Amino acid sequence: MDGPDEIIHQSMRLRITATLAALPGGEQLEFNKLKAILGATDGNMATHLGALEKAGYIVIQKDFVGKKPRTRIALTRAGRKAFDRHVAYLKDLLNGG
Amino acid sequence: MNVTREEAAQALDDISRANERVAQVQGYHHGAPYFIIWGLVWLAANTSSHFLPAHEKFIWPFALAAGFLISMATGILQSRKWAKGAGLREAERKIGARMGMTDGIVIAYVVCIVMIAQPESNREINAMISIIFPFLYMAAGIWAGWRLFAIGLVTAAAIMAGYFWIAEYFALWMGLFGGGSLIAGGIWLRTA
Repeated sequence: MDGPDEIIHQSMRLRITATLAALPGGEQLEFNKLKAILGATDGNMATHLGALEKAGYIVIQKDFVGKKPRTRIALTRAGRKAFDRHVAYLKDLLNGG
Repeated sequence: MNVTREEAAQALDDISRANERVAQVQGYHHGAPYFIIWGLVWLAANTSSHFLPAHEKFIWPFALAAGFLISMATGILQSRKWAKGAGLREAERKIGARMGMTDGIVIAYVVCIVMIAQPESNREINAMISIIFPFLYMAAGIWAGWRLFAIGLVTAAAIMAGYFWIAEYFALWMGLFGGGSLIAGGIWLRTA
């Protein structure tokens, strides 16, 4: 059995990756929408998104819609694999594996 | 790094809640265009009926047919978003067929209700048919999310208030408040 993913296991990062993993493959979610879904603050989100991006688990894309800045986030293939592995680890642990 | 069984259970619970919340938001976003489409149909057909009562028997079939066709097209377009590649044509066919069948069931139900109840005025027919949908939204809202319930409640209240207190301007009321509440509801669902 693989060990836990230390990057993903932290509560907020787990909820971020779970939310992104629930989207259809490769779909992006706007920062504000993700923040609203998770009920998180800007600062808290930025810290954890930075850690996930550094690990290569998410991509953060910044652009402008008109004059308004927009930040969109998506799970990478590596992020999805890591999330799936971590979920499998948690289930194995609960099943006494 | 050690993870206890309690932490694992809590983590899986968090994941499950995240999945539910995403499904709810996606459901809102998928449903939003239909509220806006039918709000516009309701607005256009009712206000036209108020100002052109002699043409009411032509206005409603045309408006309903337009609403059904636009709904089917929207369903097919939405399916393109989540079914890419080889599965696309099959998904489009299924969505189109299901939307068509749903429309058929709704029309059959409305025809049965009118045949059984035999309403005597256009106001009664309008109210009787229109009031069905907000209650369906409320029932769906219990399962899918409180915003749907709220849209249904406001729309049903608008219909009842108009039917009993504003009989003379009922069609106009239904267009502005019934249609308006659906359009506003659709926009509200998009912001979820």
